[in-house]
Amino acid sequence: MRPGFSPRGDRGGRGGGRGGFRGGFGDRGGRGGRGGGFRSSEGGGFRGRGGGRGTPRGRGGRGGGRGFGGGKKVLIEPHRHEGVFICRGKEDALVTKNMVMGESVYGEKRISVEEGETKIEYRAWNPFRSKLAAAILGGIDKIHIKPGAKVMYLGAASGTTVSHVSDIVGPEGLVYAVEFSHRSGRDLLNVAKKRTNIIPIIEDARHPHKYRMLVGMVDVVFADVAQPDQTRIVALNAHNFLKNGGHFVISIKANCIDSTAAPEAVFASEVKKMSAENMKPQEQLTLEPYERDHAVVVGIYRPPPKQKK
Amino acid sequence: MSSFRKALKSRQKNHHERSQPGFRNKLGLLEKKKDYKLRADDYRKKQNTLAALRKKAMEKNPDEFYYKMISSKLEDGVHTRKKANEEVEVTEEQKKVMRTQDMKYVEMKRVAEAKKIERLKGELHLLDADSKQKNTHTFFVDSKKEVEVFDLATHLNTAPELVGRVYNRPTLETLETKSIQGAVEPQAVQKLARQRAHQYKILSQRIDREKKMFVISQKIQTRMDLQDKMKKVKVKKETPNAAAIYKFETKRKC
Repeated sequence: MRPGFSPRGDRGGRGGGRGGFRGGFGDRGGRGGRGGGFRSSEGGGFRGRGGGRGTPRGRGGRGGGRGFGGGKKVLIEPHRHEGVFICRGKEDALVTKNMVMGESVYGEKRISVEEGETKIEYRAWNPFRSKLAAAILGGIDKIHIKPGAKVMYLGAASGTTVSHVSDIVGPEGLVYAVEFSHRSGRDLLNVAKKRTNIIPIIEDARHPHKYRMLVGMVDVVFADVAQPDQTRIVALNAHNFLKNGGHFVISIKANCIDSTAAPEAVFASEVKKMSAENMKPQEQLTLEPYERDHAVVVGIYRPPPKQKK
Repeated sequence: MSSFRKALKSRQKNHHERSQPGFRNKLGLLEKKKDYKLRADDYRKKQNTLAALRKKAMEKNPDEFYYKMISSKLEDGVHTRKKANEEVEVTEEQKKVMRTQDMKYVEMKRVAEAKKIERLKGELHLLDADSKQKNTHTFFVDSKKEVEVFDLATHLNTAPELVGRVYNRPTLETLETKSIQGAVEPQAVQKLARQRAHQYKILSQRIDREKKMFVISQKIQTRMDLQDKMKKVKVKKETPNAAAIYKFETKRKC
């Protein structure tokens, strides 16, 4: 943990107090008021610029510090997808609410924002590394991963994206993270130690019967496996664990399926394969500018029959 | 009488050399005594040297031997001392080491730059960059009729004016129930936008620098490879943005 990340908030608090005190003298009333506002809910309650221009008198006023400063230095905008936010400060970032306060999983940036008494921490979610983040910023309609959802994540790798998915589903949700490689599985285990809603499974996703005892019914299957037969893998898991009318989100890397064909053709053939497996695609999104020749396909598994009007 | 002499002296004027008369101004400044002295001295010195050299040449014995005759040679028309065989300033080996050192340094700097880029990219996600590469979004619907009546805003359940804001198109419920937190005053927003633009500028500069350093290290590497005494053919010329490309003869290692 970076030294002094959380204590800084306290210092800010102290500064705020002092601001109020100074306000009591009558000079700089506005300033004091602002410091005081820190404690009341009116000020938006962000970590303290309390002392304001009083910085020379101590570190109380310096709310910021390294990286994403707290305080009024950022603007957090709720995203279309529940549990995801956009942070617009000096940074321009997609973020999720951090479930484990004060911990970064893979060295990503954290922003903390104080709201009244409670402090909320957000973690930046890098779309250059995560296909799901790239899809969200690309404007995908639905990811179906939302607070309380049960998600099966195939191809969890080191658990970087998994950690964000676990942030989104929150303590009520569950993430079954399947990864075959032991090496990256080790990192995944470390992530799961801190986050109780992740169930790591180090197994081949081609053989769902090997972990059928661990997994219940899930609402969503997310797959980022980059294998030529990935649609079959997802279908196998969907047949075993995905509820009727549940959804799947598949990231396709054209190169991994067929490196000679045009990417569009590869995506089209994959979509066709899905339809054959009772998985009905609903939308497809390419991931420029974050990834080249990648697409994310979202769809529904065994859709309920349409009601005739 | 003496007072008279003194009075005379006090009226005496310093001698001034005359300057160029007005009607000859176009000829430039008039030469003064001190200028003439410099010129004359220089001229005399040169004449003396010439005379001395002439005399020396006349008195030279063409059969005489000088060691310089064998210890010097012409190099581009200039007499230079020959170097003894063993006294080469930099051996080939040293050159090689120096090049690797250069390359290691450049490479180190490049990697440092790349790391910084990675870190910046982690927090700058190109949310509303104008020159962003466009992606394609396909919706699959069941019938032709649905295609005809398809409306993006209603399909996405969002406000029509938000459709172009790809990175976040909040649903109508989100717009109604949730609010933006943090710095919402227009002043603060403007300030943040400025800071953000600055960060993006830094990022692009770093990316440029990293590219340049990559080219440099490639060029050094090529120069190093050329020191091998292997047969090679130049395939492509060196350009400011790329190292030259050589094709080496294939050779079995053992």
